[in-house]
Amino acid sequence: MDKRDAESVKQAIGCPMSRRKFLRCLAAAGALAAMPGGLLRSFDAKAGKIIYEGDYEIYRNACPRNCYDTCSIKSYVKDGVLQFIEGAKESTFTDGGLCVKGYAYTRRPYSPDRIKYPMIQDGRGSGNWRRISWDEAMDMIAKKLVEINDKDDSMLGLGLTKYSGNFGITNYAVEGMMTSLGYTTRLVGTPCWPAGIDAQNYDLGDMWCNDPEDMVNSRYIILWGANPAWNSVHTMKYIYAAQDRGAKVVCIDPVFTQTAAKADVYWQVDTSMDGALALGMARHILDKGLFDKAWVEENSVGFNEFADYLRNEITVQWASEKSGIPQQQIVEVAEEFAAAKPATIWIGYGLQRHVNGGATVRSIDALAAMTGNVGKTGGGARYGHMRTWGFNYHALLQKRPEGAKGFLGGKGPKGDFDFSGDEEAEYTDRALNINKTAEMLLTADDPPIRVLWISCKNVLSQDFDRPRMLEAFKKPELIVSVEQFFTQTVELSDIVLPVTTLFEESTINASYWHYWLSVNEQGIKPMYEAKSNTEIAAALSARMNKLKPGSCTFPTEVDTRQWMIKEFNQDIYDLFGIDSWQDLKKGPAKAKMHPASWHDLEFGTPSKKYEFRSDLCAQHGHQALPKFKAARKPYDKLRLLTPHTKFGIHSQFINIDWMEEFNKKPYCYLHPTAASERGITDGDQVRVFNKVGEVELEVKLTQNVPADVVMMYEAWFRNNAYNCQNVVDDTSSDMGKYKTGAPGVAIHDQFADVEKV
Amino acid sequence: MKKQLAFYIDAKRCIGCFTCAMACKNQYHQESGVIWRDVYELKEEIYPHRERAFYSLACNHCENPTCLNVCPVVAYYKREADGVVVHEQDKCIGCGNCIRSCPYGAPRYNPVLKRAEKCSFCWQRLDDDRKPACVLSCPTEALQIVDLAEFDEANAVQYPAGFPRYPSLNPSVRFRLPAMPKMIRRKL
Ligand code: SF4
Ligand code: SF4
Ligand code: SF4
Repeated sequence: MDKRDAESVKQAIGCPMSRRKFLRCLAAAGALAAMPGGLLRSFDAKAGKIIYEGDYEIYRNACPRNCYDTCSIKSYVKDGVLQFIEGAKESTFTDGGLCVKGYAYTRRPYSPDRIKYPMIQDGRGSGNWRRISWDEAMDMIAKKLVEINDKDDSMLGLGLTKYSGNFGITNYAVEGMMTSLGYTTRLVGTPCWPAGIDAQNYDLGDMWCNDPEDMVNSRYIILWGANPAWNSVHTMKYIYAAQDRGAKVVCIDPVFTQTAAKADVYWQVDTSMDGALALGMARHILDKGLFDKAWVEENSVGFNEFADYLRNEITVQWASEKSGIPQQQIVEVAEEFAAAKPATIWIGYGLQRHVNGGATVRSIDALAAMTGNVGKTGGGARYGHMRTWGFNYHALLQKRPEGAKGFLGGKGPKGDFDFSGDEEAEYTDRALNINKTAEMLLTADDPPIRVLWISCKNVLSQDFDRPRMLEAFKKPELIVSVEQFFTQTVELSDIVLPVTTLFEESTINASYWHYWLSVNEQGIKPMYEAKSNTEIAAALSARMNKLKPGSCTFPTEVDTRQWMIKEFNQDIYDLFGIDSWQDLKKGPAKAKMHPASWHDLEFGTPSKKYEFRSDLCAQHGHQALPKFKAARKPYDKLRLLTPHTKFGIHSQFINIDWMEEFNKKPYCYLHPTAASERGITDGDQVRVFNKVGEVELEVKLTQNVPADVVMMYEAWFRNNAYNCQNVVDDTSSDMGKYKTGAPGVAIHDQFADVEKV
Repeated sequence: MKKQLAFYIDAKRCIGCFTCAMACKNQYHQESGVIWRDVYELKEEIYPHRERAFYSLACNHCENPTCLNVCPVVAYYKREADGVVVHEQDKCIGCGNCIRSCPYGAPRYNPVLKRAEKCSFCWQRLDDDRKPACVLSCPTEALQIVDLAEFDEANAVQYPAGFPRYPSLNPSVRFRLPAMPKMIRRKL
């Protein structure tokens, strides 16, 4: 979309709103009272005292955007307008604060760039958007769905891609809506963490981490491929607290991250060689007899085989050569780690985004286990958990329409956030790998994906191999996006439906890291014509049934508040020690769980023990032992890394104008040596290119990245065509299929070169 | 010494996350381009790693504020009780004297109202027994409020490298310097 198109979109969706205009509109709507801006005026201390309690309506919200911290939010509303937000003080985890992204939320419902009405684009990608009514939009979509069902005698031509843009539990209404239409096609899997999930399932029987708040009890902390200073800011204080109590913090990362800058020791490991490092440490601990003999004998299987493997095939010298970390360092940290009780390792999602990622996580798990640190407070191989996600998934569980036909013989869809259980039916949905969306859209046949429904996801900015995705997006007959902003995905959709922000709907949120649960209340009325995903499903159902009675089983009327309540059950109440969901209006609640995962040493594996040797893993086509696995062969001169930025979660938040004040445009980062070899100087405009595609942006030179790396962040800016997915292919990681339905993506096994433009 | 509130910036803990700066936007909805608190990256001469050490800065609520001294219409006053320097925007005529005179760049020009504005230390929140929005938001307690009358921290400095030294103003701010880990880099 060129600039002019962007302008026409802006005009179509309404002109940008300055704060002043915002105030004027609110005044016109009778909504303007004491805006926080009022604080600017000259009050003397007596006359102008702002009364914070009582004067505002205070609502509870929760950040649903796939972040470790899943913060509990307190929203201050006056006369129907969200004035400002804070973190909920009741949660000891967030302790009254949010993060830079969280505080930008106040702007989000009122963003001038918000999609205000349903719109249709005359010519996909043309930028010629026109406003339509909800009735018209639903009518067009419903007619198309009836048409494809008649043509194919099934709904398999309807494909859904949805992921982590909004983890509010009621958003499973999107999947529920698909089910209520019949058997459909689902893009399943998860891009972020599947290799590690499978690895932990093989080793421990589930993915379950200690309470992050218990990290203060650690005497030694290894932050391995994790960057909490950017991605879990609230965990940093527990790391600091441990450090203040004398714990040593070691950060292992190919990049000198912000977290690395706060550690006691930083190891610049060679990318994807973390497994070698862990095995080298394990070998040394074995040699020195520093492993926890009693623990492994009592609680594990296969340790002797693992020890034999270490003795026969691993040396510290080998680990040093592979990883680039000097032998003496490996020895020192290995000894300290083994001696410190308890010691913990935080396994970040970065180090498993490799073709050997699952194997790597297994070797790190082994290190934590052989030193007896699994099952202990202050210990643990921490990765994530889903122990507080036991909702009803009411939104998800819909009946299929009478006589619906589907996919024969295949396996039903899964996903790390799929809770529908195994269904035994003649037909199933058709499951396609979400991590190869471009390929799936291009090759799925009989029927092809005729209608693509996108929700909670910015496919064109987040999914891989974007050049191919652009091709793939030409194929469906109709593309419907449910969104808040004109993302690059919306640019290639036919119809866009405006969806509510968290302040405009009711839902619930749990975390995959900490143990807190938060309710999300509707604090303000939906802006413009936005509807929640639940309401959209109901609207579509109403139209489908009008057109063809019985064609959709989804209720035709929903109240988001009622639907939220339906997700609760007694187990949730018991787990969180609450009598009713209403209790959560007083503040978030913490699960009454032991702070140490696996504290009872009842592992979920087939042997009920920790499995150094996992036959299940072998059955799934991997090595039974946590052995080293080779890396992907480089296909270009530099390693390309595309991690998260601190200003966004994937493509979210970065487009908000408040965020642009602090993060105006993208940069790529290059080591001075790599730059001088290419005649590049700081601030140059450069081209990052490889076999997949290319990106142009400004370069910053820094030794924070190794000399064989080029790094840039995942992002979506509203006024900049930048997209790192132009140069990232969809190569799979080793593991992930077992638990999430599809392997993950080797996001960090990418290579590229850079030149000055 | 009288009570004088000050910001304590612990750069050893600060992760440069910009939460404090955005929390201020969240509280006051400043016009586009107007920023009261910003997070400044330390130059490589001061901290040898780009974008890895920061000072979060706003108005320093100086003991002897030049903004107040140069304002022709007395739009500024310094609170007796806690030393907070308040700018009364209603009185401001937008002459820009304060903006030009403050060596810390704290007062900013509001292009819509055509007047100056700056960090208020969230005095309305203070009066309601609440922390300033930025301080409350900081996830690592790197940004704190202290009372200089009682502040006694051996490692604190008033003028770290990169922060302009103006003893005549005596800015009410203190810092702790950032630290560095032991670095083990691989050989290429
Ligand atoms: S993005 Fe993460 S840290 Fe920020 S508010 Fe949301 S949950 Fe909290
Ligand atoms: S920092 Fe500048 S604006 Fe703030 S009190 Fe001092 S002189 Fe005035
Ligand atoms: S919120 Fe705290 S840690 Fe983050 S930039 Fe501000 S002072 Fe630093």
